[in-house]
Amino acid sequence: MSGKEIDIGLHVLDHQLLDKDGRRCGNVDDLAIEGGVGEVPEVVAILCGPGYWGQRAGIIGRLASRIGGGRKVRVPWSDVGKVDSAVELKRGATEIGLGRGDDRLRPYVDKIPGAGR
Amino acid sequence: MSKVLGLGLGIIAAIGGFVDIGDLVFNVAAGATFGYQLLWVIVVGLIGIIVYSEMCGRVAAVSGRAVFDAIRERVGFKGAVVALVSSEVVNLMTLAAELGGVAIALQLLSGLPYRWLIVFAVVAFAVVIWVTTFEWIERIFGFGGLCMLVFAVVTVKLGPDWGKVGAGFVPHIAHTNRVLYAYFVVGILGTAMTPYEVYFYSSGGIEDQWSPKDLGLNRANAILGYGLGGTLSFALMITGGALFLSHGISPQHLGTVALAAEQPLGQVGLLLALVGILFAVGAASIDTVFAGAYNLAQFCGWEWGRYRNPRGAPRFALTWLVLLVLALGILMTGVDPVALTEYAVLFSVVALPLTYVPILLVANDKAYMGRYVNGRFANALGLIYLVVIMIVALAAIPLMILTNVGQN
Repeated sequence: MSGKEIDIGLHVLDHQLLDKDGRRCGNVDDLAIEGGVGEVPEVVAILCGPGYWGQRAGIIGRLASRIGGGRKVRVPWSDVGKVDSAVELKRGATEIGLGRGDDRLRPYVDKIPGAGR
Repeated sequence: MSKVLGLGLGIIAAIGGFVDIGDLVFNVAAGATFGYQLLWVIVVGLIGIIVYSEMCGRVAAVSGRAVFDAIRERVGFKGAVVALVSSEVVNLMTLAAELGGVAIALQLLSGLPYRWLIVFAVVAFAVVIWVTTFEWIERIFGFGGLCMLVFAVVTVKLGPDWGKVGAGFVPHIAHTNRVLYAYFVVGILGTAMTPYEVYFYSSGGIEDQWSPKDLGLNRANAILGYGLGGTLSFALMITGGALFLSHGISPQHLGTVALAAEQPLGQVGLLLALVGILFAVGAASIDTVFAGAYNLAQFCGWEWGRYRNPRGAPRFALTWLVLLVLALGILMTGVDPVALTEYAVLFSVVALPLTYVPILLVANDKAYMGRYVNGRFANALGLIYLVVIMIVALAAIPLMILTNVGQN
């Protein structure tokens, strides 16, 4: 990730995450930024999951976080392949621990006839 | 060839799909109360939905973002939560109203008890959406909805005073009962620009994998589809004016709308009208339930898609199932679908800016849109409509209270 300048507030935060196979596997719910006084701040990870919603929007966020189950996944910035209109990752969703809700629900959905039409 | 076919099918779906229970209720009631005087409002609403659908279709084609993605990216997390909650509430009310309309049409066709037919309708939709591919749903409901064209025939047969009809297309303010007139202006604009239409439209563009090459198709779909669908709204209002105003009838029941087709065309007309209403409102139910599922899935970043089977997008499938069950619960309280429709439309009007402002912002974002960013023409229209939307959003609740939800 170098060369092109991007506004992380506008063009990374709150964007769709896609895994290496193009699977939709969450949104950029927050960013972990490191760097002390006098240093150049650096984005070190994408924070994904309802667990991070509380720090985004006060009471509403905490309520939404609780309803959403409060799961947290930290995706290191080194896993980011490309920032386009979506943020594309270099690895698979399951491997990173993303998209787990869909994976867990799938066996039950499969039991109902017609789920694979 | 397949493009022409795709466009044709899209237009057929739009003709049947544009008209939902809100259009039926508001346009016929407006005709019965003010004759042809409010026809111009339909034109204003139609241009509005065409402008914003074209815009969000273009955003979908160029950036690959659906409307709710764009909302979250542009207005931030907090604003998006507010937009999500309000859109889901309005959406659920609309869904319940549409399903109630389906049950009423079924009742008039079969004579069976209404409550059983609500349960039947919800179960039938759940099964149909679960096991049928969307291509088939679109075709079945699109062609079925074409029966609504009977209202165009009715309009001609009733022989309205065409001079007066023409005068109705010129924007003006009523001489009497101005508050009720304003209430209908807001309601008609609200039904024409219902947010679920743009959510459904833009997500469809992503699923059809539109690219900048499809911008012509997008424009044709928006203009022809909504334009032709809108002619049905004209027909409904003219029918209301020609038949009910002169007889002093105010149609409080969806069945009265269908009866309008019986007067000039007999039993066949009635049957076509009922089947048309059944499929048009049925298509709207499906669009609405998908719109609700799209919004939640896009907010959370889940897999989604009307062309995906439930295995491919489990949480999306669970969401629309839950929405159907909630709508069933609302209807089982015995609430009148027509009254529910009026509330659903008015509350959706209040929430309109939350949908349309982010679309305008994204369509102007060079980083997203490159050279396909809004031109002057689209921006001028977009801004004019934004002002219109703001005014109607602010006026909706006061007008609802002043007119006792259109009762006087």
